[in-house]
Amino acid sequence: MNKKWIASILGIMCFILTVAVVTQYKTVKNASQIAGTNINSDLKTEVLKWKEKYEDIYSQLGKSKKELEDVREIASNNDSSSSDLQHQLKTLNALIGTTDVQGQGVIITISDNNSITSDTVGVLDNINNYLIHDRDLLILVNEAKNAGAEAISINDERIINTTSITCDGNVVLVNDNKISSPFVIKIIGSPEAILGAINRPGGYLRNDLEPYGLVNSVEKKDNISISKYGGVINYNNIEK
Amino acid sequence: MIILAICVGCVLGAIIGINLPIIPYTFSSYLAISIVAALDSVFGGITSTLNGKFNFKTFVSGFFGNAILSILLTYLGEKLNVDIYIGAIVVFVGRMFNNLGIIRRYYIDKWSQNGKEKVNNVEKRN
Repeated sequence: MNKKWIASILGIMCFILTVAVVTQYKTVKNASQIAGTNINSDLKTEVLKWKEKYEDIYSQLGKSKKELEDVREIASNNDSSSSDLQHQLKTLNALIGTTDVQGQGVIITISDNNSITSDTVGVLDNINNYLIHDRDLLILVNEAKNAGAEAISINDERIINTTSITCDGNVVLVNDNKISSPFVIKIIGSPEAILGAINRPGGYLRNDLEPYGLVNSVEKKDNISISKYGGVINYNNIEK
Repeated sequence: MIILAICVGCVLGAIIGINLPIIPYTFSSYLAISIVAALDSVFGGITSTLNGKFNFKTFVSGFFGNAILSILLTYLGEKLNVDIYIGAIVVFVGRMFNNLGIIRRYYIDKWSQNGKEKVNNVEKRN
């Protein structure tokens, strides 16, 4: 057993060891980024494990959905009536928000007016006018729907039939997820109709948001893509 | 020579490890215990090299065997709700300190002998 042999074996072992140590270090660092460093370590472990389980199951759900779609496609290939049904299914999924959709429409960007502080705001003015509230989003979404919007998302939270937009202190809850300024509202629908309706003189955007400097941009876009609803839709009380 | 090999191994390992993806958090406790076991084996290997008793088979089987055994024990402990890995850590870290002590004494002896020889040489010349 000469010395070179021993040295190379030790070197290889150290190599494996360092790879393991660095991987572990990165994993732990990533974990503390997710769950914070100063909380109870048992709780932290629980949180991380549940998060992993959730992610696993969510990716499985995605795979199963794809499989289901494939099976449906194969089944409807031979039959014209079932291909009709398949088409209907696709349209309905796009409408209720369980698939990604693309199309022409309007993108509205609104954000809090950061140039105003509580010192510079006028005596008769209210600082609340310079912030975006859940109410503003609600009214804009409502106006867009009134003008014929087919799919809407706010900061990539898809607006579906069970969506609520509520106030949660310094953030806004959409689909129970926290979002905050700046708000990007993507609307798929006839761009002319929506732009005309939202931009009309005396409308909410012109009258109540623009004077306070809350509107960043309102623009037509030919190809807007809106991602699907990220959660799971539960129907427990509708009788099937 | 041996120190050089260890340094090269560590640097290469760090470079490759940085580019590897992270592992799921569930497995990180197993990886941690196997790292401690492997570290113990490496120190054991260095000690036996210094003593001139290095055995390839013992070293490699200890390196992988201890790591795998400690992972299995940790898994068993998790199933039985006993923290067996604490026992493994105590044993490994205890041995690591033993080996470190042996390495330290070896080099202290070597250097102090060198110093004496130098002094002797100087005295002889005079």
